[in-house]
Amino acid sequence: MGRVPADPYVRRMTLTTTTAAAVSLRGVSRTYGAGPAAVRAVDGVDLAFAPGTWTAVMGPSGSGKSTLLNCAAGLEQVDSGQVLLGDVDLARASEAELTALRRTRIGMVFQSFNLIGSLTAEQNVALPLKLAGRRPPRADVLGVLAAVGLGDRARHRPRELSGGQQQRVAIARAMVTRPDVLFADEPTGALDSTAARTVLDLMRSMADQGQTIVMVTHDPAAAARADAVVFLRDGRVADRLTGPDARTVADRLVELEH
Amino acid sequence: MLRMSWAGFLERWTLFVGAALAVCLGVALVQSSLLLLISAATLDPPAGLGAGDRMRFAMHAEASIAVIALVLAFSVLLAVFVISSTFAFTVAQRRRDLALLRLVGGSPGHVRRLLLGEAVLLGAIGVITGVPAGLAVMEFQSWLLVTLGFVPPGFAGEWRGWILAVSAGAGLGLAVAGVLVAARRAARVRPLEALRETGEATRVMTAGRWALALLFVAGAVTLTILSPIGGPVGGQAMASTAAIPAVLALTVLAPVLVPAAALLLPIRPGSVLGELARANLRDSVRRSASTAGPLIVLVGLVLAQAGAGTSFTAAAQAEQREHTAADLVVEATGPLRVADVPGVAAASTEVEVPVTITTGSGEDQDTSVEPALVVDPAAYTLAHPGSGSLTALRGRAAAAGPGADEVSAGDRIEVRFTEGAFRVPVVAAVPTTIAGGAELLLPRDLVADALLADAPSHTFVSLRPGADPSAVRAALGQVGTVWEVDTWLARDGAARQATSNAVFVVIMGLGAVYALIGVVNSGVIAAAARRREFAEARATGLTRGQVVRLALTESFGVTAVALLLGGLAAGASFAGVLGTTSAVTGSGTLALPWGLVAAVVVVAFLATGATSVITSWSATRGRPVTLLAARE
Repeated sequence: MGRVPADPYVRRMTLTTTTAAAVSLRGVSRTYGAGPAAVRAVDGVDLAFAPGTWTAVMGPSGSGKSTLLNCAAGLEQVDSGQVLLGDVDLARASEAELTALRRTRIGMVFQSFNLIGSLTAEQNVALPLKLAGRRPPRADVLGVLAAVGLGDRARHRPRELSGGQQQRVAIARAMVTRPDVLFADEPTGALDSTAARTVLDLMRSMADQGQTIVMVTHDPAAAARADAVVFLRDGRVADRLTGPDARTVADRLVELEH
Repeated sequence: MLRMSWAGFLERWTLFVGAALAVCLGVALVQSSLLLLISAATLDPPAGLGAGDRMRFAMHAEASIAVIALVLAFSVLLAVFVISSTFAFTVAQRRRDLALLRLVGGSPGHVRRLLLGEAVLLGAIGVITGVPAGLAVMEFQSWLLVTLGFVPPGFAGEWRGWILAVSAGAGLGLAVAGVLVAARRAARVRPLEALRETGEATRVMTAGRWALALLFVAGAVTLTILSPIGGPVGGQAMASTAAIPAVLALTVLAPVLVPAAALLLPIRPGSVLGELARANLRDSVRRSASTAGPLIVLVGLVLAQAGAGTSFTAAAQAEQREHTAADLVVEATGPLRVADVPGVAAASTEVEVPVTITTGSGEDQDTSVEPALVVDPAAYTLAHPGSGSLTALRGRAAAAGPGADEVSAGDRIEVRFTEGAFRVPVVAAVPTTIAGGAELLLPRDLVADALLADAPSHTFVSLRPGADPSAVRAALGQVGTVWEVDTWLARDGAARQATSNAVFVVIMGLGAVYALIGVVNSGVIAAAARRREFAEARATGLTRGQVVRLALTESFGVTAVALLLGGLAAGASFAGVLGTTSAVTGSGTLALPWGLVAAVVVVAFLATGATSVITSWSATRGRPVTLLAARE
């Protein structure tokens, strides 16, 4: 079982043990509701995501994947524990600090692309920088769009783009700030298989260039493109896999659902 | 940021057209009313009028100015309400957009600036279109005022340069004020809300909103309770205005009341669409409340103003009948000597003269032109039972009349006629009445003969038992026009009703149209955000027709609830009317204009129904799958 890990991956896994994680969760819990109806979506999770690695987070529906991702990205308040982005504890950051971090160190991509419909692709990409009060040179913005293969779609509005293209614009928007970590929640969930492959290829090449990526997904084929997979069940880490392949991931997932 | 405002603008134009229209019409209405008020206040009497006519002109102008001031007050009230609620609603409808902005790193300050930028843009559009529209509105309102006899023919509102600053300030100010509160709330939107597809995460009723509601309820209750002890003039004013804080209270409470009242709607058991419509009404609290709001205001104000008008008119007529003991009334010019006409038992001749009254002294000094009646005190008390004793009214003295508002017994006042001025004590007072009338009763000695000679008069005549009415009528016909007292009272009542109707039309006419546009507006804004929801409903198995019927059912539900709440708000005024009339006349009178009530109900259902069908039909164009796939 399992394949022999590729060389760069082994090198990075070695690095994780020696350098600080890009993001680490320490004893993170998040409960929804109260009393007997309370659901503990994330239950005392400890995880560290090494710099320059792409980690997939998987698990059955309701296992707490998305909540975990939202907590790690500072979108969701945690009940207890620490969420360290470098040396910043997101669990204790103010709303203003979190806002600033979203413009500088955290990139987010979602299943529903969440582009602003009234703005062109170029304007969407430039938005986080403009919100940070910067005037990005047009060439930079177009450069990022070109990097996701959409150099010729800069003036199109989201509705004039296919799903795959919209998702690549969303990735460009997330990447334009050169974030420490890119969080992706089911980035291929709404895409057909061809578009999904293009997006995953893009993410793979980003990771190969040293981008830290944390991705929630249902799809074993998508998870197989990552460097490592973390399996969740009932809000807890149930299993880990390094150097995954699709079949192994699928089998583990089936086991978890029983 | 302005670029983003502009882009957001183009994208959501249906939403913004409504908001700009609200500003445009609000500015037009306020500008026109203000210019008309200024024009009426500075209106000079036509050249060549005699002194008496000039005073009559001034007296009439004062009444007209009071009416136009009310027009302005209602215009401002409606503009503030319609503009601020429309803007708040457009902000609420764009929660997801704003959360998206936060998601990619927008700060609360960004959200606020974006919304304020939009408000300034919309306000500017509203002002630029509203100023010329205001000129058209002024044409129409001038015509209305002339036609209804409030101002002399040829009257026209005059343009003033400074009105541009007022209109610009009002339009921009109201637009910005409208979004200010909504923007503060919107700025607190959590980024994660952009990811949630359904439901509103926030409570609509905040502590501030409860406090505001409480304040308005207290205002309505106070006016209702105080109106019976406010005397006829104050009571009528308080009763008529009690509905204003009441409608505001109910619109502020609408997020609680509308969903609760939706439970009362009759729904056929097993009707899927009916139950779904009711569930939607109860779930989409903000949408239900925002669409009901303008309708509650419209219905509440129209019913209260019209109902108070007809009720007070009916009360006045009954009161006049009770306070008049005569068989015939003679209308003529100047004092009549009819007591010696054979068959006449008693006659009270009352000559109408305008008089300038100055009350108080120093800082509190107040001068106005008021109607006075020159009477024979003894004959007056006979013709008007219940007037009390007027025996002290002789020589240099005055009595407070049935329409007394400025003076009361014990005052010392200055009365000035076209020539001659006197300082006189107010020695007596007849009971004030709903019908109102003369501010002062004056004895014959105080007024120069020349002044009386060409003033209009009416004489209440009682016949001796056994006298031949037709003979007396024939004799009296020599000096004036003779009426049976019942006919005369009926004509007087009809004239009073006509005046009351005219006041209602002038004050509420355009205001009601504006509020109705606000109703349609909120319907359009509500539907604009429902494309996706409708597509989901169709994907679940509803046909397009069923979706449209669902939207129509919801809209009829909101309309029914809003009519109910509007009626409730008008009830505050009606309670005040009952209190005032029973305090003044001894019996509570409430006469509702049922024709108008029916018209309001029909128009409300037609307007909201048509809006709902058109918007939901257009929102369901295209195949649901395409709509569901289109993401932003």
